[in-house]
Amino acid sequence: MNYARLAWRDLRRNPLRLSLTVVAGAVGVMAFIFLRTVVDIFYSGAAVAQVDRLIVRNKVALTQPLPLSYFPRIAALPGVTAITHQSWFGGTISESQRDFFASLAIDPASFLKVYSEYTLPPEQLSAFQADPCGALIGRKLAQRYGWKEGDRVTMKSQIYPGEWTFNIRGIYDGTRPGVDTTALVFGYRCLNERLPENWKDQVGLYSVRVDDPARSAQVAAAIDGMFANSPYATLTESERAFQLGFVAMSSAILTAVKLVSNVILAIILLVIGNTIAMGVRERTRDIATLRAMGFRPFHVVMFVLVESAAIGVAAGVLGMFAAPPLLKGFMRVVESQFGPMAETVTRPQTLALAALAAVGMSLLAAVGPAVRSLRLPVAEGLRKVT
Amino acid sequence: MDAAVPPMVRLQGVSKVYRRGSVEVPVLESVDLSIASGAFEAFMGPSGSGKSTLLNLISGLDRPTTGVVEVAGRDLAQLSDAELADWRSAHVGFIFQLYNLLPVLTAAENVELPLLLTPLSRAERRRHVAAALEVVGLSHRRSHRPSELSGGEQQRVAIARAIVTDPDLIIADEPTGDLDRKSAEQVLDLFEALHHGLRKTLVMVTHDPNAAEHAERIHHLEKGVLQ
Ligand SMILES: Nc1ncnc2c1ncn2[C@@H]1O[C@H](COP(=O)(O)OP(=O)(O)OP(=O)(O)O)[C@@H](O)[C@H]1O
Ligand SMILES: [Mg+2]
Repeated sequence: MNYARLAWRDLRRNPLRLSLTVVAGAVGVMAFIFLRTVVDIFYSGAAVAQVDRLIVRNKVALTQPLPLSYFPRIAALPGVTAITHQSWFGGTISESQRDFFASLAIDPASFLKVYSEYTLPPEQLSAFQADPCGALIGRKLAQRYGWKEGDRVTMKSQIYPGEWTFNIRGIYDGTRPGVDTTALVFGYRCLNERLPENWKDQVGLYSVRVDDPARSAQVAAAIDGMFANSPYATLTESERAFQLGFVAMSSAILTAVKLVSNVILAIILLVIGNTIAMGVRERTRDIATLRAMGFRPFHVVMFVLVESAAIGVAAGVLGMFAAPPLLKGFMRVVESQFGPMAETVTRPQTLALAALAAVGMSLLAAVGPAVRSLRLPVAEGLRKVT
Repeated sequence: MDAAVPPMVRLQGVSKVYRRGSVEVPVLESVDLSIASGAFEAFMGPSGSGKSTLLNLISGLDRPTTGVVEVAGRDLAQLSDAELADWRSAHVGFIFQLYNLLPVLTAAENVELPLLLTPLSRAERRRHVAAALEVVGLSHRRSHRPSELSGGEQQRVAIARAIVTDPDLIIADEPTGDLDRKSAEQVLDLFEALHHGLRKTLVMVTHDPNAAEHAERIHHLEKGVLQ
């Protein structure tokens, strides 16, 4: 017999209550991980944003275009190593909201020089570049519709009139997890040629790669300065700032989700605290007996803390292992309703935070009962009949 | 009494007053008492007369409102709470009316419990436990949980637990209060054995005149006053 054995035996005193508490705690941990991951997904665009990439957009509004003629002028600036442009197409393949995915007109010659997180076989890239109405699709999009090289996709656009048919010339992958592969991109020429004269030669954004991220603010200022007095003034910011601008639009929801995740921590605290408090109350006489024998308040507090921490660890570990598969299943359901989403990866930090929070909450939960058990004089504890 | 040998227990002018809100409840009033080393003494008295309170003072579980409590020549008032806890673990064995065994531990583990506070090795602890269980005649029940033992057996395990640290003083608050006649007799026989064989000082509170008969001396307590 030793202290650990005693704590272990005490812990198993009421197996049903113990397992219910651990499961309840684990559910809380899972919910916490779940919500935090949802928040992470919102920020994931910003998280994978390249530090050496700038986004140049129309200063008036994101929806206003920029002239194609800016391309060589920006490219010529010192510090700029690559530039490409893209225009939101807003294509749909059916009336259904479920069938929506991102589609963009891009510059085939320069796109991958700036967006190096996408990769595809060289022969597919050449085929794409050779076909004026060629398209590339992301791996997830390809899997969703079973599309392959040589397939034709006909789309309508929310912005441009008419029907548009693109030839799939390749399927791109991400070079690392978290890279979005749910979009379709096609050659800008295909779009530009069919537009009326007053819409021609305009693009949505420029993406610019700089040689030194530390100098990106300078380069951004140079770009905006160059076009400051033109009818199409620009606003240049880092890709990260650009993405966070999107997140800010939904910040109220995110704040609410974060708040709820903290409420869940409080619930874990209450659930474990309740079990510990019950256990301590039931053992009032046992604790008084131990103290009569000469055990110190320190021993009693340790027993209570160890017991509580054990519950917290069990709940944390269980929740930590159960959460990722659960999340994957959930995302599969969501994707079947709303179309593919960016890769959901539960960050190890989130898992660790959740498990630590469970242990922390369990220790916090033990403080009250432990202190209360110590306040009761030994003689009085012995008097209590339980 | 040999004047050279100090008494095991000496109380002088001891009183205890509990406070219930603004009301003061006197429970013990100027108790003077001396219990010789190696004695076996019983306290009797009606419910609420302060018997348990008196035992708590003698065993260092509680402190008097006024007066001096000396045990084995030591003024307990001089000890801090922590020192008092250490002192109890070294000098006092407790036996309770409801046995107070930990339900999650086996008989042997319950007996071993107070030894966790000593520097004894695992093997030494095991030897002491075996010896104590032998004394109470329950070696064959060492692996049983309290719920698997009769009341009399549980109380004998509790006695083994009380003596395993080899204390000078054994304190028993109504040790037979919850037992049938036969189990009670077994417990009292054990007390006599501890008293005669091991020269332990035993202080027992009881309602049962038959139980009190086993003691060398019977004190009567009436409304907090020693008769
Ligand atoms: N913590 C306390 N606060 C207030 N009153 C108390 C407290 N503890 C004991 N008392 C009172 O002191 C008196 C004596 O209690 P004690 O337990 O010593 O009696 P007892 O002689 O052991 O009785 P019994 O035979 O029923 O065990 C009782 O009236 C009891 O209500
Ligand atoms: Mg009593």
